[in-house]
Amino acid sequence: MENILEASGLTKRFHGLVAVHDVSVQLRRGEILGLIGPNGAGKTTLVDMVNGTLEPNAGDLVFEGRSVRGLPAYRRAHLGIGRTFQIMKPFPGMSVLENASIGALFGTNGGERSIGRAREQARECLAFVGLGRRIAQRADALGGPDRKRLELARALAMRPRLLLLDEVMAGLNHVEIEEVIEDIKKVRDQGISILVIEHVMKAITSLSDRVFVLHHGEKIVEGSCGEVLRDPRVVEAYLGRRRR
Amino acid sequence: MKRAGAAQRLPEPPEGEPGARGAATRAARRTALALAVAALAALPWIGNTVLVQFGISVLLLATLAQGWNIIGGYTGYPSFGNSVFYGLGAYGVAIAMVQYELPFWVGMLLGLGLGVAFAGLLGLAVLRLKGHHFAICTLGLALVMTAIVSNLEIAGGNIGLVLPLLRSEVLFYELALGLAVLATLTVLWLSRSRFGLGLIAIRENEEGAAVMGVNTTFYKVIAFMLSAAFTALAGGIYAYHITYIDPVGVFDVVLNVKMIIMAVFGGPGSVLGPVVGALILSATAEVLAARLTGAASLFFGIVIVVAVVFMPRGIAHLVRHIGPAGWRYFIDNVRTHRL
Repeated sequence: MENILEASGLTKRFHGLVAVHDVSVQLRRGEILGLIGPNGAGKTTLVDMVNGTLEPNAGDLVFEGRSVRGLPAYRRAHLGIGRTFQIMKPFPGMSVLENASIGALFGTNGGERSIGRAREQARECLAFVGLGRRIAQRADALGGPDRKRLELARALAMRPRLLLLDEVMAGLNHVEIEEVIEDIKKVRDQGISILVIEHVMKAITSLSDRVFVLHHGEKIVEGSCGEVLRDPRVVEAYLGRRRR
Repeated sequence: MKRAGAAQRLPEPPEGEPGARGAATRAARRTALALAVAALAALPWIGNTVLVQFGISVLLLATLAQGWNIIGGYTGYPSFGNSVFYGLGAYGVAIAMVQYELPFWVGMLLGLGLGVAFAGLLGLAVLRLKGHHFAICTLGLALVMTAIVSNLEIAGGNIGLVLPLLRSEVLFYELALGLAVLATLTVLWLSRSRFGLGLIAIRENEEGAAVMGVNTTFYKVIAFMLSAAFTALAGGIYAYHITYIDPVGVFDVVLNVKMIIMAVFGGPGSVLGPVVGALILSATAEVLAARLTGAASLFFGIVIVVAVVFMPRGIAHLVRHIGPAGWRYFIDNVRTHRL
């Protein structure tokens, strides 16, 4: 399997704090890669560097065979990198349909030129995540779980080739989490590669083909779900060292 | 409370499908607007000189408010630099006609070029600032421009320039009307185009827009230049009409404040709001000035304060939402904005 994304030696410093240090990771085409780690491990910072919200201090980032380092976020969106935010960034004054339409109008390859076709595409994505009946509502009138769904629909409407999901399940109940897991599987079946950050372990274990773990900004383990979760270094990162 | 609950359970109406009824109302609305424009165009032959004078002033202000609407209302960047574009447009006409004895339309093109080019350069530099920072930066710029132009010999220094006199109120009126209509049609296009949706996305959440593929810098700069174009053209018409301009008069920050008040009063981010705002506020100011002379500004201030408290989202929003709520619309506004 070829790699859709190759990050090598990514480092991000915020003044004195090293948020991400020398992280290299590959994402294969069509795979779901789980990214886990304790709070403050640098997961979101890593995703920010992939989609261009942040620029790394060092390292390189190759997407579909070309380096995207230094490209602004909108150019990376045109190349096919879509993402959701943990702290959601909806367009509050716009309707749910318009919110998703923006993704369809401006996303991969610069998006649809026709507003009509963009709306159609947005409608499909909203129906897919279960917001089909709420398209006329204003985005700021949605409740928490629906906002999460909208965040996902907006990213999907971009028709991305790589989807970065930053905690799309936080705050959802069990039933809702099951639904989103199924949705994400369907998205992968369409051939979209996915990087998923999640604290919900059930989601990580049932979705991920591989998992890698960040701790204090460094990659400590990478491998299959079972291997990684049994690894003593991962246990230590989450629970601390056993006192002897 | 009961009513609100019932409203929430109603099924969502299908989103604006262009059904037969929708098409009919849209056609009717279009005809009404075309008739209104035709009536306005005929005004010089019906009304008296005072009315035509008032019309010129309102139409220029409507254009300015509409110009501000593009950058302030749609894109969400509260510009205090639009009076600079106005001044550049006015000086473009004045310099071309006085210093080089060129025809008026060449001056308009010069003013347009100056305004748009300046907006482009300025935009690249200051549109990375947001909110208050952007407002203050553009405000400072307006003051700087007054000082610069006062020291330019070609612009007549701080004495200003006297333009050739043209006694044709009708011509100025029709020009101002044409420009106001053009500005409004442009905003109408914005409200339903891909470009305009990109601007609204920037206003609603700039980072979110960029991540979804909107080239935010390019969109903002183009919006600023578009805003400057109409503002500069209005300045050009004003200069030829008033026949005398000086730096303090045309780079006036108070004019910029007027644009903002009119656009916000009418409804920022709407198509007709700024035009209606310009008309209502100009008429109010005119009536107050005639009746109360000295205390007029005081009452004008009261009108603005009352408007901001009871209808902070402008007339456009009021018209669309007052229907079922009635007077409670105003109470709700006061409540939600904690005034």
